[in-house]
Amino acid sequence: MPLLPPIWYIKAEFIETDTGNKVSRKATIAGPQNIILGGKTIISNGAIIRGDLRRTGPGHAVVISLGRYCVVGEGCVVRPPYKTYRGNFNYYPMKIGDHVHIGAGSVVEAASIGNHVEIGKNCIIGKFTIIKDCAKIEDNTILPPNTVVPALVRFGGAPGVFVEDLPESTQEMVEQYTKQYYTRFQPLEQA
Amino acid sequence: MLNRMHDEGHNTTAVVISWTLCLRSLCTRQKQAKSREFVKKERSGLRQMACSVLFHCPCLNPPTDPPPPPSQASSSTSNHPLHTLFFCEECDAIRCDRCVSVEVSAYHCPNCLFEVPSASVRAEKNRCTNTLSVVPSDPPGLTWDTQSSSISLGAINEPPFLLFCNFCRWDSSELGIKFDKPTGLAAQLQRHEDSAPEMLEFERLKEHFATYLRAQQSSSATSQQSQPHHRSHHTSLTVATAAASSALARDIPGVSKHRRKDKDRGAGIDKEELPIYKSRIESASLGTLGLGADEEDVEFLKKLDTENGIEDVARLEQRWTGSWQGSIHSRDLRPLRMPLHSKKSKRCPVCRHILIKPEQKTQSVRYKIKLVAANYLPSIVPLFPSLTPQGLTAAQKKALSTKGSTMSVDEGIDHPLVSMHAGRTYPFQLAFTNPLYDPIHVKLSVQRQSLPSTSSSGTTDSGSTKKVPPNFAINLPTSSFPISAYAEAWEYEDEDEEEMLLDDEALAIGGSGISSSNNTGSRKGKGGSSSANIGVIERKANVTVVGGEVVVGKEGRGDVKFNMMVSYTYRSDEPSQTTSIKGEGKTRTAASEMKTFSFWVVVHLGGIIVRDREKDRDRERGSEENPREG
Repeated sequence: MPLLPPIWYIKAEFIETDTGNKVSRKATIAGPQNIILGGKTIISNGAIIRGDLRRTGPGHAVVISLGRYCVVGEGCVVRPPYKTYRGNFNYYPMKIGDHVHIGAGSVVEAASIGNHVEIGKNCIIGKFTIIKDCAKIEDNTILPPNTVVPALVRFGGAPGVFVEDLPESTQEMVEQYTKQYYTRFQPLEQA
Repeated sequence: MLNRMHDEGHNTTAVVISWTLCLRSLCTRQKQAKSREFVKKERSGLRQMACSVLFHCPCLNPPTDPPPPPSQASSSTSNHPLHTLFFCEECDAIRCDRCVSVEVSAYHCPNCLFEVPSASVRAEKNRCTNTLSVVPSDPPGLTWDTQSSSISLGAINEPPFLLFCNFCRWDSSELGIKFDKPTGLAAQLQRHEDSAPEMLEFERLKEHFATYLRAQQSSSATSQQSQPHHRSHHTSLTVATAAASSALARDIPGVSKHRRKDKDRGAGIDKEELPIYKSRIESASLGTLGLGADEEDVEFLKKLDTENGIEDVARLEQRWTGSWQGSIHSRDLRPLRMPLHSKKSKRCPVCRHILIKPEQKTQSVRYKIKLVAANYLPSIVPLFPSLTPQGLTAAQKKALSTKGSTMSVDEGIDHPLVSMHAGRTYPFQLAFTNPLYDPIHVKLSVQRQSLPSTSSSGTTDSGSTKKVPPNFAINLPTSSFPISAYAEAWEYEDEDEEEMLLDDEALAIGGSGISSSNNTGSRKGKGGSSSANIGVIERKANVTVVGGEVVVGKEGRGDVKFNMMVSYTYRSDEPSQTTSIKGEGKTRTAASEMKTFSFWVVVHLGGIIVRDREKDRDRERGSEENPREG
């Protein structure tokens, strides 16, 4: 879409992978072997992704998986949720679907986030939160642990509560927006 | 896998380690209220601030009439963003959320996401049997998972169990609610609910009217045949409302029968024959509900002055959904079961065809039927090329390299509102996107601004003799222009050469003298001649950008907002469809199978900055009107 102006980033600051992921060198990616990026996903400056907080036990473990066309905003913290179950402290994996945008400054400790989810700026998504498809979390929302956000609704406030149902075409709108965002995200050669 | 692990966790006693936010401190609550207000303001502000194109739904005025001018307040209710609108194929008309008829297709709990069959919805009083919500000290709607948030006192997994809120660290020992086992808490709590005065009163009412309802039901069976006959006498009732009201009557026995009662009096029992209903609680003995306990109230009010005293008052949001006048003490609030949500299907209000039909599954976001307007009408995006440059300035580049972060000229999907100076001319662009698989030809016509300017609010009547020149004039290409068909992205790549050919051909059809389509040269300086600004500026894939101009009058003020009729012509290749529509008198010629559809949009480009001289005059005139902000 030529309609919206590009969003510029400095080329030297980002690493682009074969699958089109753009990861900032200024982001903190801990335990990258435990993180899956689906492709065409952008990790912004200053984001922290804690792939090192893995489940105890032998073998390979996926800690955080992100789908396609996701954006982790500037200064976001994405870390897996933890709890003590039967006396054993453990981390649990986090799964994030496709077309998910997480606004700048948000802290995410969800158990699962569906597809086409928009999370605003400066949100706190509590531990083991489940966010279903096409949900929208307003800016500055605080979701307590174990919250469930059903599909196609908007949540907001502190604590985050149901605000309204979203229109039926939300999925297309979000998909268009996230794809457009990726094409708008353009490198700028250092002057 | 993940869900299962999560579920396992439910059965354990979860100890919440730390949650720093406690709502119960007053300052937090104030802050929260403030931030919420701010968010609300911001949201409503954004809607005003963005330069936008809203689509008109003709449900409030007859489709033959043009919509009211956008300067009138009444126009705002019938204009919507494109993505919220529906399209009825049978009626060939736009439908909006206000005019469609809504039916509940499935109920589910928003927290545990279980689907609830409609039979038990009624039995369980529209609430979920698994999940509790509404912690007394929290705003309503905060969900509470009964199992994961219950913790035990004393030894692990030993009764008694308590409810514990993850957010504010409230626990149910404050209310004296304890449980013997950690499962099925809602059922255990229901005993409290069933003994509540409003429930007892409701049961009593039902009992009182039981004989009456039974008699009505049996008589309705006999008069079933006469029902449509009676309805047909009601000229005001359309088919749609009749169906809707019969659907309503199904849910509430007695309602439709009352209505029929008025018509054919004499069948069954009369309402008057019922004995007078006596309330369970005499109104004189309402002392417990806050009407008689004077001294107690005085004590309570005195306590409010102390620190955290206001915490003892239950907030309005926590109380006003109750059907019964409850106590105002927050300590009397009890956790309630989660209110259910529903999935809705939507129908056209005229022909009753289904526009929206969701899949039954709670978590699915797919639809069996989804007729949204975005799939039928071209979308329109307004752009200001002179004010949103495509490249970065040198200063911005420098800032970017020193700041070391991503930068956008225009963040977000909304465009900032553009401010225009009176007496100047501004070029603008409208980008049309064709969602159809056929190429279309679009023709625009701007509604004449016949109303006097908003400043002379006293003389808005058409009868006034004072003529005020319009605030602004819009120049848009009057001849039709083409938009290519929608295709998948990869198809466009091969089409580049073809498209150039198409371009020339299409332009010849359109016949509008148009600037050459240098696709990157869409950006025109302010000093560009007016002829270059008006017309088709760019064609790319299924998007056509059309340039226009807004000439702001010397005395102009207010918002640049105008109605525009968009007509598009498309080729219809379904002969069966055309025959079905024939009866409605569509404007089309059978030979070419070309059909035209017209709709109205409201284009809001921005505000006019009143010139200083004018502002001064306003100030002299007094404060009866607010000078427009720039």
